[in-house]
Amino acid sequence: MPEFKYSNAEKEVEMYGYDEVIKSHCRMCHGGCGVHIYKKEGKIEKIGGDPDCPIAHGTLCPKGIASTQIAYHPDRLTHPLKRVGPKGSGQWEKISWDEALDTIAEKMNGYKKEYGAESILMGYGTGRDNESVIYRFANLLGTPNVLTAGHLCYGPRISTSVITCGSIPVVDYESQPDCVMVWGNNLVIANSDEYKGEALAVSVDKGSKLIVVDPRMTRLAARADIWLQLRPGTDTALALGMANYIIAEELYDKEFVANHVHGWDEFVERVQDYPIDKVSDITWLPEEQIKEAARMFAEADTAGIQWGVAIEQQINCADNNRTLIALMGMTGNLDKKGGQVLFENAKNRNASEFGAHKLLSKEQRAKRLGGDRFRLAGHFAIINPKCAWDAILTEEPYPVKMAMFISSNPVLTRANASEVYKALEKLEFMAVADFFMTPTAELADIVLPASTWLEMDYIGDFWKRHGYILARRKAIQVGECRSDHEMLNELGKRVGQEEYWWDDFEGGLDYILEPLGINFQEFKKMDYIRGEVNYEKYKTKGFSTPTGKLEIYSTMLEKWGYDPLPKYVEPHESPISKPEMTDKYPFILVTGARSPGFFHTENRQLPWLREQHPDPFVEIHPDTARRLGISNGQWVSIESPRGKVRQKAKIFEGIHPQVIGAQHAWWYPEKKEGNYGWKESNINMLTDNSYESCDPAMGSTSVRTLLCNIYPEKQGAK
Amino acid sequence: MKQLALIIDHYACYGCLACEVACKQENGADFGVKLIQVGEDGPRQMNGKLDFLFDVNACLHAACEDTPCVYACPDDTISIRDDGIVVMNERTCTGCEACVPECPTDAIRINGNSMITEKCNLCYHRVDEGLMPACADNVCLAHCIYFGDPDEIAAEIAQKRTLLRA
Repeated sequence: MPEFKYSNAEKEVEMYGYDEVIKSHCRMCHGGCGVHIYKKEGKIEKIGGDPDCPIAHGTLCPKGIASTQIAYHPDRLTHPLKRVGPKGSGQWEKISWDEALDTIAEKMNGYKKEYGAESILMGYGTGRDNESVIYRFANLLGTPNVLTAGHLCYGPRISTSVITCGSIPVVDYESQPDCVMVWGNNLVIANSDEYKGEALAVSVDKGSKLIVVDPRMTRLAARADIWLQLRPGTDTALALGMANYIIAEELYDKEFVANHVHGWDEFVERVQDYPIDKVSDITWLPEEQIKEAARMFAEADTAGIQWGVAIEQQINCADNNRTLIALMGMTGNLDKKGGQVLFENAKNRNASEFGAHKLLSKEQRAKRLGGDRFRLAGHFAIINPKCAWDAILTEEPYPVKMAMFISSNPVLTRANASEVYKALEKLEFMAVADFFMTPTAELADIVLPASTWLEMDYIGDFWKRHGYILARRKAIQVGECRSDHEMLNELGKRVGQEEYWWDDFEGGLDYILEPLGINFQEFKKMDYIRGEVNYEKYKTKGFSTPTGKLEIYSTMLEKWGYDPLPKYVEPHESPISKPEMTDKYPFILVTGARSPGFFHTENRQLPWLREQHPDPFVEIHPDTARRLGISNGQWVSIESPRGKVRQKAKIFEGIHPQVIGAQHAWWYPEKKEGNYGWKESNINMLTDNSYESCDPAMGSTSVRTLLCNIYPEKQGAK
Repeated sequence: MKQLALIIDHYACYGCLACEVACKQENGADFGVKLIQVGEDGPRQMNGKLDFLFDVNACLHAACEDTPCVYACPDDTISIRDDGIVVMNERTCTGCEACVPECPTDAIRINGNSMITEKCNLCYHRVDEGLMPACADNVCLAHCIYFGDPDEIAAEIAQKRTLLRA
């Protein structure tokens, strides 16, 4: 009987006759998981885990393993294309990279001259380790307008953390917290930032107490010591209620608040507005449960809050985050070993410096779309999407004529899809870089074939806050595909940025690593580097905020004219704020619960992943379904004042009878007519993007809390 | 001889589905055929509370008490090895489906294209070379897939559970 050892690369090679094993780091979500790439005769045959990886320890997810199905997919874009028919006609012609880049550069130079650089919109979707390269290009071009997911995903965590405590606090899983409160995050399924699900799974298995705040039951919630099934959109009220209780019961860290918090007394006064009985009414949670959770979190020696995107896609986005930071701080867990740590990166050039934000002139920065309305977002170079659509459609405050989207599919992922589509149709010129044709790419003039993570050298996770940088190594070349950074390296030279780019992008990687005294070839041999881990740095250095303290009372928000203390605001569209709507739209709609195989709009054309999840589904409580005559697996219509879509009903007892949970980002790559059925099940046909529905500081759209109706689809209707 | 089984600690499973794709990558089963399949159990009332588990379904091999599929097959297509691995030989399967209803865990699939039955063979081609079965090869982020002797695994899982609220 042989001895078994997992992830045994040597034996894999021996048995299957692979020619080569390349160590790398996946980027099917944000990145982070170490892998072994097995190659034979020039082709990747298998993706396995790398047990030496400090983030995931060799564990993988469906997306990572299925990466080869993107790389070698028959529909993969493999050379640049130019559109030869009307927008959306699907008529394309193959062109060379030179022609594609020359055309884009000529348009950029032209619009910049005629309308100013601000008339050019750069865009990316969720973070794919390309952020700082795109910002670098935009800042050098002189446009302050980079449209990302940053207004409603991770950007708020960065922005609110920086103004409140100087950097993002990350749960210190490596030191085994005694308690983890998972808030609006299902990181064992989702595409989390920094640590992946394995870290939490191991912590919980080793005995960390678990509190889960989620309107939907997940396995994490089911397994938790306490599951707080709150009314969607009431997170800030819950967090302020917990703070109220922790203060009343004197469960907070008195030394910490006395010496390291700015505005403690004002905060104590503010939380008096949130007594537990009132919070219970707002959140639908029993008073005892709120108290029990607050006590469990506060009394744990070490505790962390694993926060996720769900709390950011609401009108209370910034205050949700800030109240959670207050909870971390007041319980003494901020920057504490086993608590929530402000990890320091290695001494490489950081994402902000590489992004060349300082090279954007003050004059151009002042033109950032929505910068005067959403002032927290504007300060962090983030724009609210509606500001971009308005500039295209109404030419106010100035016209936007051209866009270049890299790894982004806004037709599916941004609120109010009808408006997004209209705006993209109106753009005079659009370039899109992606792996496949998409509903967004079909509206472009030029489409560029992007490399997957298997086809690039890069410094992975270099913009994340766990302190690690990870080597990503190019394993294959597919067609003429180029990485996002390689294309911008070449485009930059065509729009007058020659001195800021390199012969090839390896020069850029060397530049990032330069302060460490190594180059990329040397880094590749090292696998990963972590910054020095130090705890409780505030005791000697203070927090990196204007007052040097944890600013529960934010001097920055105050300066920008916002309430400096967190407060709860009722969702813009809820049974309480809009009772007059509930006749027609009686249900609260939450959207965007994650499926393991998909990353937003991605992967629906990959057989291994689509097989797991062939259709979009909408979760509905069995009592509600029975009352409405909806059966499991039946196609239903979901409707809001903005539109109507169809998804398949999934009878699900883990959701409140008054709440409906629909999936996001659905399109049908197999439907070649009608631009891949972009309207059919796209939940953003229903979402609202009006300015008054957005977080006033961050510009976050409330894609998770709105009102809807749901009913069986008529026979034969579509 | 040491007995080999595939055992899932369902309490620890979060339903990430990595095992399904790891199996696809190794064994290349057709679209619609999952030799290991993650199902949902709930949310439903269990022991007086709403609970939600995942139910990972694959052949248990040495942990299957009676291996009724072996005896149900009229063609000796299914055999049990000395190490407890239950192997279905797809080349000799006629697709009579006699084994399908016999399986206590519903782990035998019918391939709609070829009309023969398929099931997990515990990657015996890997096991014989000293490699772990694909799904058990540390892909699972919950570390809930165990391969090896059923008694040893049961002890290991029990030991792990003692860490909770220790």
